[in-house]
Amino acid sequence: MSMRSIVFCGVLIVAGAAVADETCNSPYMSKLIKGQEQFIHVWTLGVEGLGDGSDKLVTIDVDPKSKTYGKVIHRVSVGERGEAHHMGFTDDRKYLWAGGLDSSVIYVFDVGSDPAKPKLVRTISDLTATTGYVGPHTFYAMPGRMLIGNLSNAKTKDGVTGMAQYNNQGKLITKFDMPVGAVGGVKGDGYGYDIAINPAKNAMLTSSFAGWNNYMRDLGEVVGDPEAMKHFGGTMVMWDLKAMKPTKIFSVPGAPLEIRWSLNEGDNWAITAAALTSKLWLIKRDGEGTWQAKEVGTIGDPAKIPLPVDISISANGKGLWVNTFMDGTTHYFDLSNPEAPKETYTKVTGKQVNMVSQSWDGKRVYIASSLLAKWDKKGADDEQFLRAFNWDGKALTPAFEVDFTKEKLGRAHHMKFTARSSGQASLSVGSITLSDAH
Amino acid sequence: MRTSHAGLVALACALASIARAAVDPGSATAPQADFVPPAPGSYTLQRIQTCPDGVLLDATARTSRLSSHTTGKITLLTFFYTYCHDPWGCPFAYQTLTGLRERLLAEPELARRVRFVSVSFDPTHDTPAVLERYGSHLSDTRFEWRFLTARSVPELMPVLDGFGQDVSVVVDERGQPTRTVDHMLKLFLIDRHGIVREIYSLAFLQPQVMLNDIKTLALDESAGLAAIR
Repeated sequence: MSMRSIVFCGVLIVAGAAVADETCNSPYMSKLIKGQEQFIHVWTLGVEGLGDGSDKLVTIDVDPKSKTYGKVIHRVSVGERGEAHHMGFTDDRKYLWAGGLDSSVIYVFDVGSDPAKPKLVRTISDLTATTGYVGPHTFYAMPGRMLIGNLSNAKTKDGVTGMAQYNNQGKLITKFDMPVGAVGGVKGDGYGYDIAINPAKNAMLTSSFAGWNNYMRDLGEVVGDPEAMKHFGGTMVMWDLKAMKPTKIFSVPGAPLEIRWSLNEGDNWAITAAALTSKLWLIKRDGEGTWQAKEVGTIGDPAKIPLPVDISISANGKGLWVNTFMDGTTHYFDLSNPEAPKETYTKVTGKQVNMVSQSWDGKRVYIASSLLAKWDKKGADDEQFLRAFNWDGKALTPAFEVDFTKEKLGRAHHMKFTARSSGQASLSVGSITLSDAH
Repeated sequence: MRTSHAGLVALACALASIARAAVDPGSATAPQADFVPPAPGSYTLQRIQTCPDGVLLDATARTSRLSSHTTGKITLLTFFYTYCHDPWGCPFAYQTLTGLRERLLAEPELARRVRFVSVSFDPTHDTPAVLERYGSHLSDTRFEWRFLTARSVPELMPVLDGFGQDVSVVVDERGQPTRTVDHMLKLFLIDRHGIVREIYSLAFLQPQVMLNDIKTLALDESAGLAAIR
């Protein structure tokens, strides 16, 4: 008997995609990286007079075995400055969507063909014209779609907003306004920020921040303006995911930001940090099966307004990194009992720190500096960097650093990880060859 | 060199597992559904995208447009290959679909308004004759399940790209393709006009939800027909 071995295509690409702060990705994401990430893509705000001044996607080699470890190996400028902020992969991890909070422009980068050299392949400029929303913030993959949580609206530019859903081809499917009426006895403020889905519970959580009027204004002015301080989100919303309808609104004062579901099998809770009150909140079902939100911990000294920003949960749901922007501190919380998180480690990792991403195995932690162009510190305190650390469970040890000012890149913001998928060949247009082995 | 078929498959699987060590292909457990899905008709299924078209081969080796298989009935379409061994890939989709078929057969009126379509990733191996042997017993007067392939990979690729169905071939340590196709499991729910209304990946492959979605589309269509009358 002759045996056939199949050669599917003429073009073999030992490439693919995968990621690093894996625990914050959508549950619909394929190809999680559970080993060593190879690249970090940093969505970077352009700074006038620095380099080309435009927002750009910066790619850094983070493979310790590489000759260019810790170096910038690629950059894609989008040719304008629009307050680059967050990004998110499509469900197949081939594309990275990124948004501008000021311009409301959405950029789609191909990171699947060659993660070392992302390409800008699509620009979506009509988000505001088609939805009325401003400030695309969270990019959350759903099967064949991208759900985008926005921060503001074109009419008042305050925090009342909604979510826009696109298909992966970049066409708007529909939009969902954040609730402003009462649901479950609590009145919605209509504000938006993060999105986090738990498919097994048919549950989607959203949080709330502030509108364009606040996030595009100098932080000192905002804090000094009592009226402006009234315009921060103070709610979270639980949605029936399938129906995309709000089922309960929780009162969570002080701008609840990033939301992370525990990925530990059997866990049934999510956690968030409220920026202005410096509190950790737990969202969990009570004994009767009803979702409840409750304050479970304090981050730093709330009286000093340390401003907790990004968080990163460990893959087993037992630990949580929290960055506080104002004091440049990275905190680690033991979440063994999510009802009572315990801060077990702190380290000043910069003069200002915002994003924090950990590898799936928890051994590597990456910190980026910028919060918002007009909220970042001034003068010598305006450090702009990506810093990599190794974590042995006891201390963060510096691994490498990229100075984004010295490199004339801009303000380092959101990070996403990729890696080439070894042992993969594309099933692309080419030839099928049947080789008979006798 | 002469190699047994079973040996080749085993080798491919071994190489595939090596190749996948760094990158997890997806969830390692069956999807959980710890909730009561909303009732059929109580929610809206969005119009996600128009189905791509292309020329395919059916199990009798006749060529036809894909659109002839994705319109006229509520359609659940998936891509597969007959010799897939990934327990959370094609076999799991097959198990889900056969279970759903049984539930639909319990409601004959609804079953007549639904079809399944399975399109092979591998036109080289999965010839019409292979598909005939693989799936002919699943389609009868009570329920329609069509198995399709392509004349070539170049003819299949636009269909895959149009659906956003990622796929790659696992290669061995020498860079040679194995018989393992790495793909993200997706099922596409399509209305009778050829519009994709829901996409299920592994985390979302919940039979009761899928049945309710089918009923929701059927209710939409009935309401639409009533309005026309």
